[in-house]
Amino acid sequence: MGPIQRLRKDLFANPLDGLVSVLLLSGLAVAGYRLLHWALTQARWAVIQANSTLLAVGRYPIEQQWRLWLLVALVAAASGLSWGVLRGLPVRDRPKTTLWPSNDRLAAILLVFLASWTPALLGLTLAIQARWWTLTALVLLMRWLAGRYAGRFAKPAALAMPLLWPLLYLLGMVLIGGGLGLVTVGANEWGGLLLTLVEASFAILLSFPLGVLLALGRRSSLPMLRWGSIVYIEFIRGAPLITLLFLGQNILGFLLPGGLAPDRVWRAAWILTFFSAAYLAEAVRSGLAAVPRGQLEAARSLGLSLPQALGRVVLPQALRVALPATVGQFISLLQDTTLLSLIGLLDLLGTARSVMANPLYLGKSAEVYLTLAVLFWCCCAALGLGSRALERRLSPPSLSR
Amino acid sequence: MPSELMNPLSPAMIEARGVEKWYPNGFHALRGVDLTVQRGEVVVIMGPSGSGKSTFIRTFNALEEFQKGSITVDGIALSDDLRKIDAIRREVGMVFQQFNLFPHLSVLDNLTLAPVMVRKRRKDEVLQQAMALLERVGIAEQAHKFPGQLSGGQQQRVAIARSLCMEPRILLFDEPTSSLDPEMVREVLEVMQGLAADGMTMVVVTHEVGFARQVADRVVLMADGLVVEEGAPQRFFDHPQHERSRQFLAQIL
Repeated sequence: MGPIQRLRKDLFANPLDGLVSVLLLSGLAVAGYRLLHWALTQARWAVIQANSTLLAVGRYPIEQQWRLWLLVALVAAASGLSWGVLRGLPVRDRPKTTLWPSNDRLAAILLVFLASWTPALLGLTLAIQARWWTLTALVLLMRWLAGRYAGRFAKPAALAMPLLWPLLYLLGMVLIGGGLGLVTVGANEWGGLLLTLVEASFAILLSFPLGVLLALGRRSSLPMLRWGSIVYIEFIRGAPLITLLFLGQNILGFLLPGGLAPDRVWRAAWILTFFSAAYLAEAVRSGLAAVPRGQLEAARSLGLSLPQALGRVVLPQALRVALPATVGQFISLLQDTTLLSLIGLLDLLGTARSVMANPLYLGKSAEVYLTLAVLFWCCCAALGLGSRALERRLSPPSLSR
Repeated sequence: MPSELMNPLSPAMIEARGVEKWYPNGFHALRGVDLTVQRGEVVVIMGPSGSGKSTFIRTFNALEEFQKGSITVDGIALSDDLRKIDAIRREVGMVFQQFNLFPHLSVLDNLTLAPVMVRKRRKDEVLQQAMALLERVGIAEQAHKFPGQLSGGQQQRVAIARSLCMEPRILLFDEPTSSLDPEMVREVLEVMQGLAADGMTMVVVTHEVGFARQVADRVVLMADGLVVEEGAPQRFFDHPQHERSRQFLAQIL
């Protein structure tokens, strides 16, 4: 079926379909045109250009910002490396892989295309533009290297890959916060996108194991464990996050003796973690419920202990089923970090609000909010893409596929 | 082989005495069941659905709890002691009606998981044994596939090989052919027949009369949570002693 016939079948199969299609398409066209017209002619992007550093890292000391650039470069290198290794290693049901499969080529072209004009369009200085070009080149170089040699070093690559990102995360926290000979930059000096990403990634990483434990606890045969998990999950899910955040800012200070209470940024991170864990527990529980009882019975009848049976047989299947809901929770967690601006933290939204409060940029909130929306959309889209790739990789081959 | 001929010094493989079980809803599933299975013996348990036969054999490896009576497996008394339960499960293999293969692992990994994790054996050594077992059940060429890519009969044969890979002293079969298409029943029964010929101790819950006649040393009929009748297959099928057995046989033959 050619594209024309296909379009005809999908959009204009009968008069009513055609009418709906025409109405929707014209509505979309008008909205798109007006948005573009506003963005290109009326919008004043100076507010973003002048505050780009503030929005990205807040009041992070300028003389220390090289650390963040180094971190971004390391992340770019690791991304390229993982991309190449994941695509360069044979997958179990398609053992033959090429160095650059067609959709990888497409992604690379898209990346180059975006990198070549976006920094200039955003009005960044030439020096900064050059940095972004270098970063893009770094991603693609590592992608090529890893894809070229992954097959030859399949074993060490498979061993090193799971360690790469945790190590990079720890290194990143050192680069951001200081230590190991670097000047300390306190959490109260972090801001903007940097703070948002730190809070979200911290909460995502810690709430996941916590959520799995809570889900297992809720299904445990030990009554204390079960009831403890249920009370925790239902209490947290019954309270709005903003209440918990305010509660955390006030109560943790009273409960813990002076100095022991983490400062406001980390307090908020912990609250986000505990909050998200309760929702994750429910996602994981639905995954556990989808694994037939016979799986656990078969594992136990082979002599596997309960932890072995859960870890090797039940959880791998349950977590795969729960993956879409889990990533959905991560995405809402990322967006929930905007609530931190209400308790006085300068996350991306908080910084943006302080920018808009500047009389110089009065009435420029549309530009700022649109930028925030695009930034958040990029982060969430990345999470969603990763989740779908992971899901495809984890689903075992069957007769029907 | 009839139990009188067994060496009286060798204890029975399974010794169940007065086993009673109530489900949490109060249903009295087992009402005092006795059964002795000797080494190398093949016992087939038959009975109408709801008679408690599956529940009964699932008590042997503690997949079901029981409230009264005693069960001794290979000299180890079943109790709440978790170490004893694990010790028994290592020696008792079980084949399920729904196969219960691990769908996220390849056929070979299904076989090697428990020997490597539980018996702490070397992976390469287990792999060799696993391939030999797959050869024996006639599906060595499927070793690298996933359970979802196999037919029901093939899956059940993998499940049998998976149990054998733990080198159990006894194999329990819980209606192994009941969820198979008719044309696949034979390939599974043939594998089981081969095991019996090699002297494996087996307790089989099944409705396959042909298998019971040819392979079983003893047939046990259960109904309403009790053993109604037990005896050699010829006598059981041709001259059932109890009215309940005659009723049951009239329905399935």
